[in-house]
Amino acid sequence: MSVRWPAWFFVKLPHQLALGWLALVVLAGLASPMLPLPYPPATPDLLHIAAPPAWSGPGPLHYLGTDPTGRDVLAELVFGARQLLLLSLPAAAAATLLGALAGGAAGFWGNRGLAISWAAVPATIAAAWWVAELPQRLTSALILLIISILLLASKYLSLRYSRRSGNATLFFPLDSLVLGSATLLSAVPRLVLVVALAAGPPLGTGGLLVLLLLVAWPDAARLVRAQMLRVRAQPFVEAARAVGLPAGRIWWRHALPHACRPLWAFAPLSVAGLIGLESTLAFLGIGLLPTTSSWGRLLGTLPQEPTAWWLVAGPGLALLFTLLALQRLAYWLSANQHSQLVLPK
Amino acid sequence: MSFWWVFARLGRALLAAWGIASAIFLTVHLLPAAPDEFTLGDPSELGSAVSLRTSASRQAARQALRHRLGLDEPVFYLTRTAGRPVRWQWHGRHNQYHHWLSLLLRGNLGYSYRTGQPVAALLGPALAYSIPLMVLAAALATGLAIWLALGLANASGALTGWQAVARTLLTGIQALPLFSLSLALLLLLANPDLLNLLPADGMSTDYPPLGGVAWLASYGAHLVLPLLSLVLAVLPELTLPLEATLRQELRADYASTARSKGLTSWQVAYRHALPNALLPLLTSFTGLLPTMVAGTVVVEVLFALPGTGRLLAEAAATHDYPLVIASVLLTSIARMLALLLADVLYFWTDPRLRPSL
Repeated sequence: MSVRWPAWFFVKLPHQLALGWLALVVLAGLASPMLPLPYPPATPDLLHIAAPPAWSGPGPLHYLGTDPTGRDVLAELVFGARQLLLLSLPAAAAATLLGALAGGAAGFWGNRGLAISWAAVPATIAAAWWVAELPQRLTSALILLIISILLLASKYLSLRYSRRSGNATLFFPLDSLVLGSATLLSAVPRLVLVVALAAGPPLGTGGLLVLLLLVAWPDAARLVRAQMLRVRAQPFVEAARAVGLPAGRIWWRHALPHACRPLWAFAPLSVAGLIGLESTLAFLGIGLLPTTSSWGRLLGTLPQEPTAWWLVAGPGLALLFTLLALQRLAYWLSANQHSQLVLPK
Repeated sequence: MSFWWVFARLGRALLAAWGIASAIFLTVHLLPAAPDEFTLGDPSELGSAVSLRTSASRQAARQALRHRLGLDEPVFYLTRTAGRPVRWQWHGRHNQYHHWLSLLLRGNLGYSYRTGQPVAALLGPALAYSIPLMVLAAALATGLAIWLALGLANASGALTGWQAVARTLLTGIQALPLFSLSLALLLLLANPDLLNLLPADGMSTDYPPLGGVAWLASYGAHLVLPLLSLVLAVLPELTLPLEATLRQELRADYASTARSKGLTSWQVAYRHALPNALLPLLTSFTGLLPTMVAGTVVVEVLFALPGTGRLLAEAAATHDYPLVIASVLLTSIARMLALLLADVLYFWTDPRLRPSL
C-alpha cells in the first residue's frame, strides 16, 4: 500500500481532479441562469465599486467583491463559465469537425483523385449565375446548361464510337485548395487575424463563433490530412477498393474513422487554445459586446485598479484550472490511445 | 537553380500576403456598419462644436466625411445592389479596393482614418520600438531555453529538485494565455500593496532625457516586465521540444562513446549532443514569430508601450481600417519571410534536405 500511493497521488489524483473541475465548470455554465446569485451579471452596483470581498454585513453581499464598474465578481465568474460553453466549446467542436472533413477529403483524394467531367463546369457556372442573380439570368443559365448537355453528349458519343477516352476530365485540386487556404489563414498569427477581422462593429456571440471557427480549423485539417495519407496506403483500404465499394463510402466508413484517431487527444487542446484566444480578446475588449460576461474581461479590469487582487484571483485561478484540466485530459486521452494503437507509424 | 527556388518561394509569400490582406480589406469594408458611423460618433457630442442639430446638416457632414475618407466610392470593381431588384454594376477603376491596391504598389500604405496621418508614419516609430523588444526577448528566451533544456536533459531518470519544479512550471506556463501571465507578474511585482519593484505604466511622462545613465536605467526598468512576460511566453515551446531531442541524442552511441572517454555529463550534452539537437530547434524558432507578434499585442496594451501591438489593438478598437490592414500585411510578409529563411537555413546547415531542382 505504501508503495502504491505515490503513483496514485501523481497519476490518478490529478486526473480525477481535472475531470471534477471540468464537470464543475460545465455544471456552473449550464445552471447559471437558475443559480440563486445575490447579484445578476453585467449590472453595475454603483454603491460598491471595486469593493473587496465581503462575508458579513447588511443586505446581499458581494462574496468575491466587485470590479471597477461595480459588477459582482461571483456572478461574472459563473456567467463566464457559461460563455465558455456557448462560445469556445461549440467553436472548437465545429472547427474540429470542419478540419476533419476538409483534411480527410484532401488527404484521401489528393489533387488527382476527384475527376469531374468537363460538362460539370458550365452546369456549375449556370447554377452560380442563377443563385447570384447575375444579369439575364434565365437566358444565360439556359445557354450554359445547353453547353453542358452538348459536352455530355459529345463525351458519350466519343466513348461510344472511339476508344479514346480519359482526357476529357478535369481534376479537382482538392488538396491544393485545402492546404492553400490553411496556409493563407496561418500567414498571420491567430490573435492578429481575429483582432483585424473584429475591427468592425461588435460581433456578438454568433459572429465571434464563426471567427474562431475560421482561425481554428486549419490545425485539425493538417493533422487529419497527415494521418489520412498514412491510412490511405493501408491494406484494408486497398481491400475495400478491390471489393468495389464506391470511393465516398470507403472514405466515410473505412478511412475517415482511422484518420480521425489523433483528433481525440487534439480536441481538448483545441478547446484550451480557443478559451485562451477568447479570453485574450475579452481582455483586449475587442469584438465582444460590453455586456458579455467573460473571465478575460474581468481580468482586463485589473490595470484600472492595480491593488484589487480579488479581480485576478477568481477568474485567473478558474482559467488556470480549466486550461490545466484540459491539458491533463488531452494527455490522458493520447496515452490511452497509444496503448491501443492499431496503425503502424 | 537554387536562386529560382528562392525566387518562387518569395513570389508565393508575397501572393499569400496580398491574398490575406485583400480578404481582410473586403471583409471589413463589406460589413454592414460603415466606419464613418463610428468616426462621427454620437451626434450630440459634435452638436456644440459644429451645428449638426438638424438631421440634414448631420447628413451633409457624414457625406463630407465619407467623401474625405473615400468611402463614398464602391468597395470593389463589381458590386451587387442590396435591395430588389438585384442589379450588378461594373464600376471600373473607381473603387476603394483599386485605390488601396494602387497606393500599395507605389509603396503607400494609406492614411489613418482617425488622425489623417500616413500609416507608414504611424507604423515607423512603433516598429522601431517593438522590433528591439522582440529581438531582445527572442535572444534571451533562446539562451535561457538552451541552458534549461541542457539542465533538464542531463537529469537521468525521474526529475528531482529544481528540475522537477522547472518542468512543472514550464508545463503550467504553456497552458496559460500570455495576458494572464503578465497580469500575475504585474500583480506580484508592480503592486503598491505588495512588492512595488518595477514601474508598470510603460513610458511615463517624467522620463529622463535621451542618453545617459539615468535614461538607460529608466528605460531598462520599464522594459523588465514586458520583456519577462514575452520570454516566459515563448520559453516552454522552445525548451520542451529541445529537451526531448537532447534526451534522444544522449541515448545515441556517440554519446556513450563520449561518456566512456571520461567526459562529464555536462560536456557530453554541451559539446556533442547540442549541435545535433539544434537543427529541429529551427522549426520552433520560426514558430516564435507569431507567438511574439501576438504577445506584443497583449503586452504593449497591458504595459502601455508605444509599439505596433498597441497600435493594432487601438486601431481595431477605433475601426481605423487602413492601419489594421497595413499591420496585417506587414505581419504576414514577416511571417512568410521567416518561414522562407528557416527553409534556407535548413538547406544550408543540412545538405541532405536540399530540394533536387
